[in-house]
Amino acid sequence: MLKTILTTTVDGFRAAFGRGRIETSPLERAVFLLAVGTVLLVSLFPFYWMVVTSFMPESAIYSLPPTLVPTEFTLDHYESVFSPETFPFVTYFKNSLIISLLTGGLSVLVATFGAYSFARLEYRGRGLFSRGVLLVYMFSGILLVVPLFQIVVWLGLVDKPSSLVITYLVQTLPVSLYMLGNYFRSVPPEIEEAAIMDGYSRIEVVFRITLPLSAPAIVAVFIYTFMIAWNEYLFASIFLRTQSNFTLPIGLDALSSGFHQVWGQIMAASLMTSIPIVVMFVYLEKYMVEGLTFGSVEG
Amino acid sequence: MATQTRTKTGLLSGDYTIEQKEAILGYLLVAPAVLLVGAVILYPVAYNVYLSFTQVPISPEQSPTWVGLRHYRTLLSSGAFWDALTNTIVFTFFSDTLATAGGLGAALLFNRRFRGRRIARGLMLLPYVAPLIAVAYIWQWLLDPLYGLVPYVLGDLLGLGIGQLDVLNNAGTALWAVVAFDAWRYFPFAFLMIIARLQAIPADMYEAAKIDGASRFAQFKDITLPELKYVLGTVFLLRWIWNFNKFADIWLLTRQVQTLPIYAYQTAFANYNQGQAAAIAMVLFLALMGFVLLYVTWILEW
Repeated sequence: MLKTILTTTVDGFRAAFGRGRIETSPLERAVFLLAVGTVLLVSLFPFYWMVVTSFMPESAIYSLPPTLVPTEFTLDHYESVFSPETFPFVTYFKNSLIISLLTGGLSVLVATFGAYSFARLEYRGRGLFSRGVLLVYMFSGILLVVPLFQIVVWLGLVDKPSSLVITYLVQTLPVSLYMLGNYFRSVPPEIEEAAIMDGYSRIEVVFRITLPLSAPAIVAVFIYTFMIAWNEYLFASIFLRTQSNFTLPIGLDALSSGFHQVWGQIMAASLMTSIPIVVMFVYLEKYMVEGLTFGSVEG
Repeated sequence: MATQTRTKTGLLSGDYTIEQKEAILGYLLVAPAVLLVGAVILYPVAYNVYLSFTQVPISPEQSPTWVGLRHYRTLLSSGAFWDALTNTIVFTFFSDTLATAGGLGAALLFNRRFRGRRIARGLMLLPYVAPLIAVAYIWQWLLDPLYGLVPYVLGDLLGLGIGQLDVLNNAGTALWAVVAFDAWRYFPFAFLMIIARLQAIPADMYEAAKIDGASRFAQFKDITLPELKYVLGTVFLLRWIWNFNKFADIWLLTRQVQTLPIYAYQTAFANYNQGQAAAIAMVLFLALMGFVLLYVTWILEW
């Protein structure tokens, strides 16, 4: 992080004070760089602080004045995060992973079929369906909390991860359908038509041509859904009861209200929680602008 | 495509034209999505309307009893409700305005070319991408009254005299901490939307303005802002809708701020008055819809 800030600043300086723009004064360049630096500092400093705190010994964490650049490093916090007798971080992580992977996989399946239908097939009511699905996006989680809880209780699905998977799947469907539908429309229909002329059936065309061509969008939908499921707190907090079923957000929330002054462990757990998402984000960055701009379940 | 082509092979038996087959396939493929949305969103929303007129018993075996408008009357005469509504509007307005303004500022900065722009841009998106639970904890730690960095810097270094103030556990300051947190978390979203539009403004508009001797500021006022009007209006509206409904961001950072979603949650799952909570959610939804309609007609002029 720090290195990146430094190199960015150095690069910025090079760009500004090297060759190039004649029309900007040195003062203006300095102000510009200062502004970019400030934006990055505000965005990134909290993450730097998370990383640093997670490796700091207790004595350094709980001392004033705070140490901005630590001199001692320790893995103690990670050890206690990964030891089941201290707290079940690994269990929470596993639960979150299972729920998020399932949600992502199912979302890709249902949204691919639906979006292909919207994008390529002609039938009565198509416009109504595709617009109606987007309209559903207006209903917030809080409007669904009471009725869904009643339904889940009535169906006997309380404390079952499946109730969460279905909830997340459906809440992300509007955006997934929208993202994939847009992408399918960008695949030239002539390719598909040529294949149909060659005697392939519509289903074969979808599996052999359209889906392989749309791989990036499908991956983007998977990651978007995964991220939503990974983050979700509201429904997880009311559907899940036993600790062994907790996902990361509620598990960590329970931990922090149960203990005091365990910032080292909490920062270590936060970092571990962030890693899968950041890794996916690095991969997704290209598609991110298109997909995530459209927002998320509760943006 | 030839119409009326009869085929006897393929997906379904019987005589269908290609068009009919395509239509059947279309319905089949879209059915799972439509059924799921109907069962898990549309039906619950309708059910929520019904529940808001009933008293919901704690045991699931008994069915709800009709109480008409009682929950709504209770709400309108309760101080907690009006406080929560005020908090919701204050939180939404300020976090939305700050996030949109921050996004606009960042977009104007990043519209210029400089080395390392791509990586800087990716890094700037981190607050928006990182898991909520992680960033909420980082902020709690930064604002920790005893050893947190922010109180230390503000109090001891700058001598602002807030000293050991517990920002997140003080109802007066917690609201502003949550506003700052959400502005910080969501300004990258505004940035993404705005920069996309900014880069679509034709360069020759600026060239022409320069030839006419327009100052930088005049170019911004007469070209950039009018061109961005629509996207700024849309970003503000989207963020308004989402922030108005925000639950987890506030709840995980502090328990001292009561907005309508939190009020509904506590009514439903701490006091177990589910019918009342359904009514709160209804009022929240109607208030939001009212705002959206006004906004769309007056500001966006759709």
